[in-house]
Amino acid sequence: MNKIVHLTLFLAIVSAIAGGALAFANQLTAPVIALNNERAEKQVLLEMYPSANVDDFKIMDVTTDNPTVNKIYSYEDNYIFNMSVSGYKDGTTFLVAINKDDLTVSAFKAISNGDTKGIGSKITESAFADSVVGKDAAGQIDTISGATVTSTPVVEGIHQAADIAAGLE
Amino acid sequence: MNRFENFKAGLIKDNPVFSLYLGICSTLAITTTVNNAIGMGAAVIMVLIMSNVIISAIRKIVPDEIRIPVYIVIIATLVKIIQMLIEAYAPALNTSLGVFIPLIVVNCIILGRAEAFASKHGIADSALDGLGMGLGYTLAVVAMSFIREVLATGVLNIVNPFNEAQVWINVTLIPEAYTIPLFNSPVGAFVTFAFLAAVIGAYKKHADEKAAKAEEVK
Repeated sequence: MNKIVHLTLFLAIVSAIAGGALAFANQLTAPVIALNNERAEKQVLLEMYPSANVDDFKIMDVTTDNPTVNKIYSYEDNYIFNMSVSGYKDGTTFLVAINKDDLTVSAFKAISNGDTKGIGSKITESAFADSVVGKDAAGQIDTISGATVTSTPVVEGIHQAADIAAGLE
Repeated sequence: MNRFENFKAGLIKDNPVFSLYLGICSTLAITTTVNNAIGMGAAVIMVLIMSNVIISAIRKIVPDEIRIPVYIVIIATLVKIIQMLIEAYAPALNTSLGVFIPLIVVNCIILGRAEAFASKHGIADSALDGLGMGLGYTLAVVAMSFIREVLATGVLNIVNPFNEAQVWINVTLIPEAYTIPLFNSPVGAFVTFAFLAAVIGAYKKHADEKAAKAEEVK
């Protein structure tokens, strides 16, 4: 009986010390790890602004009930929306930067195309990005003829981003 | 066996990977690039030294019946701490080594040395044994990954683990037309492993015969 108590106590003490050491290490590293993850997440924004520094992008602390919005960032005079929409299928993700003052589209970058290659992937081509940039984000934006199913939700996404941006301070 | 002999044994004669055949699973998986191998080797060295020292320090008070669970708790704690440090300060390494860092817990080298050496020897000897065995493991994975990376990609590429943008070495050793991509796959790992194990085996046999001959002359 005594033996069992001794063994149990010994293992319990060893585990408690181990737990304490882990808690201490976690306390030390958790903030650094969180920062790393945040930076990894922002890495994709560099595709849109190659000359920027990852730390220049600020994550906006807003929750929207719009499921297409993944994340909203603020950079200089722009709100950058990371959105995922679905055409035929899920998996179309794009970034759109909207100017804070006049709500025009200041930059657009499609990260991935979830639909047919060669058709849906037209949204990733620079012709579409060029046609979108400078337009009023809430106004008329042309979809791509021949890739309507993919580009329509993207344009709708930009309109929704404009709505949200208008409500942000 | 004196201390230095003890330390040296882990490097070649009792190399944990090629001679004791311990911890082969991780060896086969992470040896695709020299960079990964060095990172993994460093992590194993740290865990091995610390676990050997701690286990040697408490070897007289650990009840014999529960020594294995105690060792495992200690090893798991150390590995988790190392993993958190790597995740915080070398995130690129963490991404490429992935699940194999937490799997150091069940790497037989660590528990094997705890049971076979650290639980019977003093702290300094155990630390030295840990360093020797850890270096032996590192040597083994670096040798394997060097062969695999160079044959598969033709390029030797080593970057600073704490800052992946900083490239230390990047040399093309084999023109791209002559590379063998097979070596990047698990098959290549097995082939490389077999060849290196055979070379070490031949060396050991040669050394043994030489020792036997010297004995006869006496």
